[in-house]
Amino acid sequence: MGLNPIGYKPWDGKRTEHGRRFLVVAESILRHKLKTKWFLALLIIGTFLVHVMPLFIYSMMPHRELEAEVMRDYLGNGMYFIFEVILVALVCSDLISEDMRSNSFILYVSRAMGVKGYLLGKWTGAMVTIGLFTLLPPLAVAVAVTATQSGSDYLGSLKVIGQTLIAGVWSAAMLVPVGLAVSSLTAKKTYASVGTFMFFFGLMLVSGIFSGLSPDWNMISPPEVLYQSHTVLYGLELSDDVNRFLLGAMAFLLTVPPMALVYYRIMRKEAGK
Amino acid sequence: MGNGYTSSEGGVEHTITAKGVVVRFGNILALDNFSIDVPKGIVGLLGPNGAGKSTFIKTVLGLVSFDSGEIRISGMDPRTDVMAIRDRVGYMPEHDCLVDTMSGLELVTYFGRLSGMTKEDSIPRSHEVLDFVGLGEERYRPTATYSTGMRQRVKLAQAIVHDPEILFLDEPTNGMDPLGREEMLELISRIAASNKSILVSSHILQDMEKVCQHVIIINSGRAITQGPMSVLLDQGRDRKRLMVRGDPKALLSFTDQLGKDYQIISVSEEFGQMTVILVNGGPSGPLLETAKRIGVQVRSYAPDKLTLEGAFIRSVKEGA
Repeated sequence: MGLNPIGYKPWDGKRTEHGRRFLVVAESILRHKLKTKWFLALLIIGTFLVHVMPLFIYSMMPHRELEAEVMRDYLGNGMYFIFEVILVALVCSDLISEDMRSNSFILYVSRAMGVKGYLLGKWTGAMVTIGLFTLLPPLAVAVAVTATQSGSDYLGSLKVIGQTLIAGVWSAAMLVPVGLAVSSLTAKKTYASVGTFMFFFGLMLVSGIFSGLSPDWNMISPPEVLYQSHTVLYGLELSDDVNRFLLGAMAFLLTVPPMALVYYRIMRKEAGK
Repeated sequence: MGNGYTSSEGGVEHTITAKGVVVRFGNILALDNFSIDVPKGIVGLLGPNGAGKSTFIKTVLGLVSFDSGEIRISGMDPRTDVMAIRDRVGYMPEHDCLVDTMSGLELVTYFGRLSGMTKEDSIPRSHEVLDFVGLGEERYRPTATYSTGMRQRVKLAQAIVHDPEILFLDEPTNGMDPLGREEMLELISRIAASNKSILVSSHILQDMEKVCQHVIIINSGRAITQGPMSVLLDQGRDRKRLMVRGDPKALLSFTDQLGKDYQIISVSEEFGQMTVILVNGGPSGPLLETAKRIGVQVRSYAPDKLTLEGAFIRSVKEGA
């Protein structure tokens, strides 16, 4: 190595706003994942199996307009949920655990973004990456169905497109926090990805075992929570056997406490107080 | 909000001032009425393990909240202006903290952007600082493949990429070979030449003695000694080390006499040879005359230069 005979040069450029710096973290995650072969392979396979068939079927079948029920049932497909869980488990696995292993938290939180900015960046990055599966293809399907409709109620179809946008974002938002939380509990990304998958699988298993006792146990199952929350987002009526309180509680439990856990873990590790 | 203001006391500009700062972790008192003034230039922050060095740095960065007292960094309060402070501070942590999957260039660029640089600015600036720290083509390799020396250089590069006013370097020469250490110290001196405050925490006191202009010694959460390095080391200007041999009774009588005539710092005896550290700013003649009169044999009499290590040990022992 050796030193070059050059002096230290100052930098006098203009700094970006503090509130926007989390986007750098998010962009870095998206860029990194898009360079990863397994992610691209899963995304392509998942998109082909889950989204391409509905795109052709719904577009080619005679239809007057884009219907909320059709989109809700399409997003309630079991394959959609399975691919989403696999993607969340793999995408989120290294987001916190790698920083935990390499101790790189301190480089983030000692900068003008803090723990909240760091977490927001990680969450946004995961959301955008997962959104490539949960949001963009459903939007494409919705737009294609609207473009091929025979009726003239484009405003109604546009409304369903908007609802699909929200449903796609929510699909990612419901699962990403658990992926980040499990990632913050271990320094090994393999454990994190298996842990995330097993968390959702375990809940489905418990729900399946006990749902015979009471239909309320169905609300433990993440795909059921996703389906019923999509029903709400598309403005459709929930069936009578759906416990609204439990649905709200599960939606809350899958999103807020996991993020609080990640925050707590990082504060404990780096800030120390 | 501050705007580059530095407090000035006795004609010396201070970029960081702390007055009566108290930090508690449960029942543990991490900083106990901690008061320091950090001037511009290279300042050594010395202290045994657990003395409170890292806690102080984390407090300044706003990562640890303090229970009482006052801290000002370039005139700003870490409780209210934490983001503005972090933009002006660069931090090189002690432990390994590099993202293994990134190359050195990617890492420095990434953290430059997180420090508020645009992508267009951060890429050329990253090349510039990596050239400065002496990392060549290795910058394109993942940091996981780097040697300890390269990792230290990248850690320094990420700390200076956004051109901070104040730099915290925690054990910057840790794990480096002698040549690497020399080069790291040279880099620190070059950075300081551009009117920056550099707070260096290290256990390698020879390194500190080479580069620091000012020293702060911490123990048990308190700043026990602080001041210019030259003043600290000058305290031992008239110290002499005297080694004598002789009959035990004569040696005892000799030390009694020395105690009357000079300030004695320490007396030790090993295998019949007595070593006396004393303060004598005058000529050596009277002392040698006394030895001759009492009948002890002077084996050596030489200046006992106070090193930073000696000053550190003395300060810690006195402060304990």
